[in-house]
Amino acid sequence: MKPLLVLLFCFNVLLAAAQQHITGTVTGSNTPLQGVSVHQKDGKASTLTDAEGKYSIDVPSGATLAFSYVGYQDKEVVVGTQTTIDVQLESTASDLSEVVVVGYGTQKKKDLTGAIATVSSKAFQDQPVLNASTALQGRATGVAVNSTSGSPGSTPKIRIRGANSINTTNDPLYVVDGIALASNDLNSINPDDIATMDILKDASATAIYGSRGANGVVIITTKKGAKGAAKITYDGFLSMNKPIKKYDLMDVKTFGNIANLISPGLFNTDTLTTSTDMQSLIFDDAVIQNHNLSITGGSENIHYYISGQYQDQPGVIINNDMKTYGLRANIGGNLTKKLSFNLNMGIKRVNRHNPDAALSYNAFLWPLTEPIYTDADQTQYNRKGSRIITVASQEYMTLKEANVDNFANQAVITGNATYKFTDWLSFTTNIGLDALTSKTATLKNDWISQGNPSSSQSYSENYAIQNSNVLTFHKAYGLHDLTATAVMESSSSKGSGFTATGAGLSSMVDGYNNLALNSTQSITSTYSNWSQLSYVGRVIYNYDNRYMVTGTFRRDGSSKFQNNKWGSFPSIGLGWNVLNESFAKNWKAFSHLKLRGGWGITGNDRISPYTTLGLLSQDQYAYGSSAAYIAYYVGNPATPNLKWETTKQADAGLDVGFFNDRLSITADYYNKNTTDLLLATTIANYNGGGSLYQNVGKVNNKGFELGINATPVTTDNFNWSTYLNLSYNKNMVVDLGEDSLLLLGSTGGILGAQVQALQVGKPMGSFYLTKWAGIYQQADAALGYSAGDNRFVDANGNNVSGGLDDRMVMGSATPKYQLGFGNDITYKDFTLNIYIQGSYGNDIYNENYAIISSSTSASSYPTLKTAANYWTSTNTGAEFPTVGSKTNNNGLYSSHFLQDGSYTRLKNLGLTYRLPKIKNISAASLTLSAQNLFTITKYKGLDPEVAAGSGGDTQAGIDLNTYPSAKTYTLRLNITF
Amino acid sequence: MKYLVIIGMALLTMSSCSKDFLKEDPKSSITPSNFYQSASDLDAAVRGIIVLNNLAWNQTGGLACTFGSDDITTWRGGNKFDISDFDTYQPNSSNAKMIIWWDYFYQVIKSSNQLILKYQDATQATETERNNAAGAAYFFRAMDYFFLTRTWGSVPMPLGVTTDTTSLSTPDEIYTQIVSDLKNAESMLPDAWTGESVVSGYQTLPTTGSAKALLANVYLTMAGWPLKQTDKYALAAEKAGEVIDNASKYGYGLLDSCSYLWDGLHHVNKEIVFGAFYNYVFSWANQNQMGPMNTAAGEEGGWDELFGEISFYNKFPAGPRKDATYQTVYYQNNDHSKAVDYTKLLKAHPYFWKYRETGLLVDPLTHAMSNWESSATMYIIRYPEVLLTYAEAKAMSSGVDQSAYDAINQVRKRAGLEDLQTGLSQTAFRDSVIAERGWEFAGPEPAARWFDLIRTETVAQANKDRSSAEETIVGQPNDETHSFYWAPLPAIM
Repeated sequence: MKPLLVLLFCFNVLLAAAQQHITGTVTGSNTPLQGVSVHQKDGKASTLTDAEGKYSIDVPSGATLAFSYVGYQDKEVVVGTQTTIDVQLESTASDLSEVVVVGYGTQKKKDLTGAIATVSSKAFQDQPVLNASTALQGRATGVAVNSTSGSPGSTPKIRIRGANSINTTNDPLYVVDGIALASNDLNSINPDDIATMDILKDASATAIYGSRGANGVVIITTKKGAKGAAKITYDGFLSMNKPIKKYDLMDVKTFGNIANLISPGLFNTDTLTTSTDMQSLIFDDAVIQNHNLSITGGSENIHYYISGQYQDQPGVIINNDMKTYGLRANIGGNLTKKLSFNLNMGIKRVNRHNPDAALSYNAFLWPLTEPIYTDADQTQYNRKGSRIITVASQEYMTLKEANVDNFANQAVITGNATYKFTDWLSFTTNIGLDALTSKTATLKNDWISQGNPSSSQSYSENYAIQNSNVLTFHKAYGLHDLTATAVMESSSSKGSGFTATGAGLSSMVDGYNNLALNSTQSITSTYSNWSQLSYVGRVIYNYDNRYMVTGTFRRDGSSKFQNNKWGSFPSIGLGWNVLNESFAKNWKAFSHLKLRGGWGITGNDRISPYTTLGLLSQDQYAYGSSAAYIAYYVGNPATPNLKWETTKQADAGLDVGFFNDRLSITADYYNKNTTDLLLATTIANYNGGGSLYQNVGKVNNKGFELGINATPVTTDNFNWSTYLNLSYNKNMVVDLGEDSLLLLGSTGGILGAQVQALQVGKPMGSFYLTKWAGIYQQADAALGYSAGDNRFVDANGNNVSGGLDDRMVMGSATPKYQLGFGNDITYKDFTLNIYIQGSYGNDIYNENYAIISSSTSASSYPTLKTAANYWTSTNTGAEFPTVGSKTNNNGLYSSHFLQDGSYTRLKNLGLTYRLPKIKNISAASLTLSAQNLFTITKYKGLDPEVAAGSGGDTQAGIDLNTYPSAKTYTLRLNITF
Repeated sequence: MKYLVIIGMALLTMSSCSKDFLKEDPKSSITPSNFYQSASDLDAAVRGIIVLNNLAWNQTGGLACTFGSDDITTWRGGNKFDISDFDTYQPNSSNAKMIIWWDYFYQVIKSSNQLILKYQDATQATETERNNAAGAAYFFRAMDYFFLTRTWGSVPMPLGVTTDTTSLSTPDEIYTQIVSDLKNAESMLPDAWTGESVVSGYQTLPTTGSAKALLANVYLTMAGWPLKQTDKYALAAEKAGEVIDNASKYGYGLLDSCSYLWDGLHHVNKEIVFGAFYNYVFSWANQNQMGPMNTAAGEEGGWDELFGEISFYNKFPAGPRKDATYQTVYYQNNDHSKAVDYTKLLKAHPYFWKYRETGLLVDPLTHAMSNWESSATMYIIRYPEVLLTYAEAKAMSSGVDQSAYDAINQVRKRAGLEDLQTGLSQTAFRDSVIAERGWEFAGPEPAARWFDLIRTETVAQANKDRSSAEETIVGQPNDETHSFYWAPLPAIM
């Protein structure tokens, strides 16, 4: 929100002769600017623009008109013969006068010593952003945002400068208006309510958050009201979902013929005519709605921002959606001259239907010969395909009959009061609540749970309370400028819940609402609590706007550890504004030039509460009868000496601007070492298995970030602004304690052994597969292979190739390069937005593809069209081995199905038209746009982005049962009264 | 400056309570320090051991290690390779099926070790309650080491709760520990438990009778390969005899019909000396995936996990036991009008009725199955095994006598067979008992024929009759060198 200035006074200075009456409109960011100062350079005439950005002034011809406005670059226009001068002011968003939130305070960007990226609402204002994490994608260097599922409301994977930790989460810390989120995720914040997101990347910036700073920090500041008359804004859009891609499957005859090669006589292919197209039933062209209404304004002593949100987001797959009802009230003001306050309340109700919907490979593996239903009325699902091919279930039935509802109430509420003792000392206390209550209700009918329908409900409550007390000192003496901050903070996060599960439901009539209809019932409950106590100090010293030093120190105590509760986290940052040196006075091309350097220590305590206590494991046992009793067995050992994971990071950065910041570049290099990992080491299975958390191991991340902002063309009618973000991160496991290789990853789907591993010297998320070397063209009697079999590299040299013991570490699931490339091209009232996002250098093990192309698994018969290109003595160049090859099972564990996951995606292509002013409407725009319109990739699955994002960091990039993202077409209206 | 004072005081107040603020109190969970105190703690700890043991038995899993015998086989494809590898003598150390036994048996042992170390701390329980609980722990530890050493030979033998590396113990050392544990179990377990573990009047927890029966089988096994301590025959006969003599006290006997074992209507019964019990409406440890779909034919909606070897099937003496053991009629696509015998099936092998819950989960008209999980009991020790152990041990220790004949004939009678030919030599009688055990426990039962073949060193011999219709064997088992007798130690131990 631009502050609304009241038009105070306006007068004409009449001069004797040659006066020229000039009128015009001043706009900025394509909206009219009110209160812009317009004056005659070296003259007396001056005026301010009105609410519609209009001004009129009388000046002598040949005079120069100067326009200036807070937050925009000054502009001068020489008056010729024209009587209308419309001016567009350039925002100083890239300007260094911008204020950056640094945690427990703010700092001017030009004074920063740390690596901090800022994404303001301007960056995504014309794009249909459904959640806050999408708004971050590609818009800041060093920040990798990967969608993990196309399911509505799914949480994406966000990594700042790579992943540090093997066993604990690598999610950044999210701080919303001062409170660190512990119960809700980033998506609990309506993107429309976000003013800025500041991303703290290097240790000199994140160390202020100590034990929670190691993964980077995203600080979200919500919008505030400003002095002025009430302004009402409606912003809404409608989007149409389309699947990005479908698998190209065989025709039914080809399928039948190939199946008959494996199981002779299975199908009478003469009678096969109709192919079942399950995919087109499963994908749904649904319409997304998003509506936001906000009112903002204020008087001298109070200001407000109030917004309401309604969102209906169905998935691109049938029978799942999310409805969001949100309300935010941000109120602030001055109570006395010295006391001010802010109250930021965001609450949301989120109803999700089938939130865990996924797209199982069963959808593509379903025998093409089998119809969906067995009867003409389409009431009886056909389960027979499950018998022909051992698929777990009929996927259309599974998706269609699923009935799981989740109802969540989310609240992120913060209140703070600041008391200014003097102009150099102030005290702020901030209290925050981050609460989430969630109820999940499930009905499994006879189609979902054959022979045993059931209903269940679970309820959970999580709330975190944080209190931060901040004392800030700031004083300037001549060339010296000193800011000192002291913080004391306490936070606690409690979670509790219960689950009531039934079995043997006697009637579906009441849905999941009457659990008593279950013939057997069981209840479980949970409780957890963790707390943290912190003391923080920071000193920022600036000498003559040339040399800057920032030093921070944080001491954190965590309840999660026993004998090592307390940790210390120091950091130092240095900055040098070269351009302010006398020797640089004549460097005309430069508009700014700063060198930065920083070093610091951050920590990570994100193991679950009670991990170190050696809790007993719990189950139930019924003695084979109808009543179950609690059972306890020995769990993982207690680890009272466990301590923090430690990350040391060094950063060197350069900020440079040219030609009055028409071109500005930010570059950073960093080197991050994480030691004393909270590593869950494996206990020998003969000792009962399980894991022992130990502080062993080391992970290194090195990287380079380059951000370029430019305005290559700017004229009165035409403006092109562009940005390019490039990030490179190299992740490497340096040490794993006693182990040099740790097998990881689920054995989900049809895999019986892991296909991922950690190895010293390789990145996290490496794959562990046998090396596929094509197809035997001739039989190898010695090794027992026939022509047409898969050929594998005999890695361990035991003359038996292709066994699981020939697996080796290869590839990586983690992208090395991330790209964001945005363009805004404005011609008069039209703006074209082209936004491209890319991710490069990662591999995906495409398990879906392996399953539907191999005649091996429990699943027996391939359906994938390209799998019809199998080896025969006359088709020796085939991609796939001979049908039914005995090597196919081992082939699943081979690099045959490891595919390049790099992609470049047109994330947004949009055309915005700013409507001419109508009475009472101060601004309005209409945007037609498309998201995910096309993707350039070699990847053979449905969606490389979701496939790469699935899983964590060590067990990632396996495309199994992933929910692809959608292609959408959007119509958006933004209107301000 | 008064504000600074207030702030300072606030800081002090907060830091003074930091000790409690940062203390962990897991209110909904149990830590080892506040457990093993009361009788109900001991009951919960015994149940903890049982659920882990149940997980070793509720799928084909480790039974794959017994597929080298001549009664059971599978096909070589799909997800059956790991099972087939044992059937065709080519298992490798990364076999994913065998580790289900390895992992869960050792989890049972870990929790048993803990209970054995801690039961005396339960001062709120009576001495009897403490002893009963410890007796159960000794029983489970012994039983699972017994399966481990028969399957892998030398294995690690931790007797505490540790994360230390342990070297392998020899079978000799392991059997010594097993015997010691079972003697403890025998003296500490009750003849009968009371309370919720008694289901319809039947014992589901191990009792003195279970311990004696297991010890009898352990002695019998020690008398054969690899220890060949033939003096143990007498001890085996003595222990089995104690069970038989007190059968009415322990509540043991034979069911009237073999089919009752698999019909799903007799989950607890008098034939169970020890078993793993399930009720599929509860957690995974209470669900048994051995049937009904697992062992059924694909044509009827089954998973084709395993089936019978053809030569063994042909040799199997006809009668009600054979009819209860093998399926004879198959309805293709669950169509009653498309009834065929096994030779017309895709896999062309006879399938077992065992674990199929034939009277509960299988539609008699179509053989359609309504669930893939069941509550079928895994019979770990059935009373016929005690009878046959007695017959063999008695004959081998003190000669073939009437009591030995009586024991085997009880089993044969129920199977619908005539009494065993009288006047057999010691060896011929022994061979008849081994054969009888094979018929009685054919297929995927824990009392697997495989264990009889290895202890009597007859693996290769038994394979001589392998039908050409079976998968070709790759490795050559040898009864002299005992190759393939033991499974390869898991790559990840």
